[in-house]
Amino acid sequence: MVMRDYLLKRGASALVTLGLAVVLNFFLFRIMPGDPTRTVVGDFRVAPEARKILIHQFGLDQPLWVQFLLYLQNLLMGNLGVSFQYRGTAVASIIFGRRLFNTFILMGSSIAVALIIGIVVGTIAAWKRESKFDVFTVIFSLVTYSMPVFWLGMLIILVFGYYLGSIPIAGTISVGLTYSNIFEYAADYLHHMTGPFVTLTLSFVGYYFIIMRDSILDVFTEDYMLTAKAKGLSDRKILFRHAMRNATLPMVSLIAVEVTYLFGGATMTETVFSWYGIGRLIYEAVVMADYPVLQGIFIVMAVLVITANFCADIAYAFLDPRIRY
Amino acid sequence: MTAQEPAALQITEDRFWVYRRKLRDFWKLYRRSSLGKLGLVVVLFFVIIAIAAPWIAPFDPFAFVGDPFLKPSSTYIFGTDQVGRDIFSRVIYGTRVSLLVGLVASAMTIGLGSVIGLVSGYLGGWIDNVLMRITDLFIILPALPLMLIMASILGKGIMNIIIVITVIGWTATARMVRSQTMSLKERPFTEASRAIGSTDLHTIARHIVPNVFPLVFANGMIAIVDAILSEAGLSFLGFGDPSSPSWGMVLHFADTAGATVNGYWWYIVPPGICIMLLVMGFAFISYSTDQILNPRLRRR
Repeated sequence: MVMRDYLLKRGASALVTLGLAVVLNFFLFRIMPGDPTRTVVGDFRVAPEARKILIHQFGLDQPLWVQFLLYLQNLLMGNLGVSFQYRGTAVASIIFGRRLFNTFILMGSSIAVALIIGIVVGTIAAWKRESKFDVFTVIFSLVTYSMPVFWLGMLIILVFGYYLGSIPIAGTISVGLTYSNIFEYAADYLHHMTGPFVTLTLSFVGYYFIIMRDSILDVFTEDYMLTAKAKGLSDRKILFRHAMRNATLPMVSLIAVEVTYLFGGATMTETVFSWYGIGRLIYEAVVMADYPVLQGIFIVMAVLVITANFCADIAYAFLDPRIRY
Repeated sequence: MTAQEPAALQITEDRFWVYRRKLRDFWKLYRRSSLGKLGLVVVLFFVIIAIAAPWIAPFDPFAFVGDPFLKPSSTYIFGTDQVGRDIFSRVIYGTRVSLLVGLVASAMTIGLGSVIGLVSGYLGGWIDNVLMRITDLFIILPALPLMLIMASILGKGIMNIIIVITVIGWTATARMVRSQTMSLKERPFTEASRAIGSTDLHTIARHIVPNVFPLVFANGMIAIVDAILSEAGLSFLGFGDPSSPSWGMVLHFADTAGATVNGYWWYIVPPGICIMLLVMGFAFISYSTDQILNPRLRRR
C-alpha cells in the first residue's frame, strides 16, 4: 500500500523531470543566434534535397509551437534528425551503435571495480581509523579527487604508453589488424581499454572510498554495534555482517548519482584516449558544431540518468523500509 | 526621518561588533586546524604568484623567446612549447586566469543559487515547486556534457566559460539554502519579525540571510573547487581564450602538440600539479570551515 504510493510519487516526479528535459532540449538549440534552420536541419554539409525534407519534417517553416509538437512527434518515433558531420546519417543510428556499447563497457567496468575497491578499502580504513593504512588511503583519495580527470589520463599515457610502452596510446582496437577469432579481438579491445579504464577507476575510487569510510564511522556510533559487541561477536563478523551491510545502503543511491558524473568523466577520458564512445562523440560534435547529434545525446543522456535515479529510489525503498514513510 | 538616523546607525555599529566577534571566534577555532592552515597557505601562495606574475615570470608568456620544444634548462625552467614560448612563464601567468575564473564563477554560482534558494524556500507554493523541479533537472543531468553543449552554443571565451559554469552549477547551493530558509522561516524570531509588520525583504535580509550565510560560505569553498576543475576541463577541450591562457589552456596546447606521445613531461606535469595543489588548498579550507560551522560534525 505505502510502497505503491511511494512508487507512484517517484514515478510522477521522474516523468516531470523528463518532460522538463525534453522542453529544455528543444529551446536550448533554438536560442542560438541566426537562422534556426541552420542549427536544426543542417548547413552546407547536408544535401539540399535532404534539407528540404527535413525542414518539412521538423516544421521549420511554421510557428514555434507547431515546431515543438513536431519535435515531440519525431522524438517519440525515434527520429532525432540527421548529423552534419556525417553528412546526413541519422543521429539515432550514430548514438545507438558501437559507441553506446563501448561507453557502457568502459563505464560499467570502472564503476563496478571502483565500487568494490571503495567499499572494501573504506571499511578497513574506518575500522583501523588513524592507522597508517587509513592515513595513506585518505591522502590517496584526496590526491585523485583533486586531479583533473584528463590530466590523470595524460599522465597514464605518458608513463604507461610512452615510457613503459605497455598500453596502446589511442583508439578502441588496433587499426588494420585482422583477428582469427573472437578472443583475439576481445584481447586487443581490452588491451586498448586498460588506459581509460584505469583512469576512470582511479578518478572514482577515492570518492567511493571517502563516502564508505564516513558511512562506516557513522554506523559505528549506532547502538546495535554495541549490542553486537556485547553479544561477543568477533570483530570480523561485526565489521562485515553488521557495519558494512548497513553502511553500504547509502552507496546504492550514490551509484545512480554517479552515473551522472561518469558521463563527465567519460567525456574527458574518452577524448584523451580517443575511445570510440559517446563521450568522444560529444566532444567531436561540439568541435564540429554538429547540433542534431548534441541534441540527440542530450535526450538520451537525460533518459538514462533519470531512469537510473528512479531505479535507485526503488531499490533504496526496498532495502530501507524507513524511506517509504 | 532625520531623528531616526542615529538609532539606525547605532544598530549597524552593534552589528559590526557582533560580526567582528563572530569572525574572531571563527578564526580561533580555524587556527587549531592544521589542514585548514595548510590550505590557506597554499591558496595564499597562488594568490601571491598571480599578483606578482610580471616579476616572477622571466619572459613574456606570448613572446617567441626560443626554439620550439626545448628541454628544461636554467633559462627555460619548464622548456619551451611548440612555437618557442617559455612554458614556465605561461604557467605563472596561467595562475591569474585559473584563479580569477574559479573565484568569479563560484561567486556567481553561489549568488544565483542563494537567490533561487531564498525565493523558493521563503515563498513556497507553486513558485517553490517550479524552481525545485528545475533544480532537480539540473542536478540530475551530467554537468560536463551539458557545459560542453552550452559552450558550443555560446562560443569560446572566458566570459562564456564563467556563464556556463554558473548556469550549470547553482543547484547544490539553491537546495541547501532552500531547506535552511524553510526551517528558519518557522522559527520564533522570523515569526516575530513578520508579526511586527516587517516586509518580506526586511525579514529575509535581517533574519534569514545572516543565518544562512555560514553554510553558504562553507559550501562556497567547494564551489570554487568545482569551478576551477570545470574551467580546466573546458579550457583543455579548447573552449578557453587563447589570449589569456589558463592552466587548462596550457594543457590543451600540450595535448595538441602531442606532448604525451612524445614524452614531453615538463610540458604536462607543471600545469597539472598547479591545478591539483590549488584544488587541494580550497578543499582543505572547505573541510576545516565545515568542521567549525557545521555543529553536527564538531563532535567527531
